[in-house]
Amino acid sequence: MSRRVLSLFSVDRAALHAFEAELLDVLRRDDRDALVTLLAFGGTFADRARATRRGVDLFLVAEGEASNAGIYASLRRVVKKRALEHAWTSPSPALEGRLREYDLLREEKEIAHKLDLLLDEKRVPWFLRRPGGTAGMLRAEEKRGLADAIKSVEDLPPEIEAFAAALEEVPGDILCHDALA
Amino acid sequence: MGLFDRAKAALGLGPLASTGPGPPGEGKLAAKKAGRPPLKDLPKASSEASLDDALVARASGKHEEARAVLAAIDRGKGLRTVLRAAAALEAGDLPEVELLLPALRDTEPRWMLPAQLAASVAAPEVRGRLLEDARSSGAPAWVLAWVHAAADDPIEATRGMADLLFADAPLARTVAARECKLDGAVDAREAVERYTSFAHGRDVIRRFGVAPVLAVYERSRGRSS
Repeated sequence: MSRRVLSLFSVDRAALHAFEAELLDVLRRDDRDALVTLLAFGGTFADRARATRRGVDLFLVAEGEASNAGIYASLRRVVKKRALEHAWTSPSPALEGRLREYDLLREEKEIAHKLDLLLDEKRVPWFLRRPGGTAGMLRAEEKRGLADAIKSVEDLPPEIEAFAAALEEVPGDILCHDALA
Repeated sequence: MGLFDRAKAALGLGPLASTGPGPPGEGKLAAKKAGRPPLKDLPKASSEASLDDALVARASGKHEEARAVLAAIDRGKGLRTVLRAAAALEAGDLPEVELLLPALRDTEPRWMLPAQLAASVAAPEVRGRLLEDARSSGAPAWVLAWVHAAADDPIEATRGMADLLFADAPLARTVAARECKLDGAVDAREAVERYTSFAHGRDVIRRFGVAPVLAVYERSRGRSS
């Protein structure tokens, strides 16, 4: 199995919140037609959404279930289209390990803290979390602080230098994710 | 502790049951239990007994024995104190109830008991009042959503489950697996502790009997149930 690589996305917070509110609303009302439309379900998924006891049940089943993975993939495609803009993907599968463990970064408390936020899936909506995957978000000011702090450290591996450069270039809030690009 | 020892403890035959002239179960644990109201005219029970021993005794109709066990294992706060007070109220032992009420009011987190009761009563008016108590005591969104998700009314349950999914998706999946028995739903490891912290007390209250617990809770709030 190939190791996943991290990507950065520019986040339109207002659009993300709007989508979140719409999804919650259709699930609370259990409006299947609206759910099918919102998530652009077609064929089998649309049939499943209409046949299930409640629409919300679709998202209570483990994503790891093969029959359910496509539901989440469809959901994330819609989120991506509405609220995310792909900005950068690291070519290095080693980047995530470096960000989590590289001692020159970890010794700097501010950097370590912001990296932990960037890789903390609790900061992203449930529908962007993938079992066993990596996801996290930083606000624009946190992202700038992280980029500046990393650039102040010397002798970093090239994948971290490229990451810091990308942080500077992505506008606004960012999402870090390993399976959306 | 083995099964035999547990049975002995529940019956007050354990090593701590007959130490000294004080209440059963004191002895070396006396210091830990300072400030707790003493037992009065109850059968002997040991502090080595368990909550389950008390529930089993109650289920067998041995309410006095259950009270003795609850008194022996009372730590001065939390669910055991709540049940001890409920059993005392049920028995008409108002002096003991009054002694225990301050501990009930101080039990943390304060939202836990009203939320667990709300998850156990069907009457909408009572449920609504308990949920409001929980909310005003700082109950997190996942607790309130979970209580709604467990409602008998399917519309409320659907809304509650949607809210729970958004408030705490791992917990929603754990509830779906354990309580809704939804095909394909599985426990989320990171939510199991949260699930257990709430469900254990709720289930114990249901086994004990909701009415006396509700009555003592309402009394602690200065309300009549």
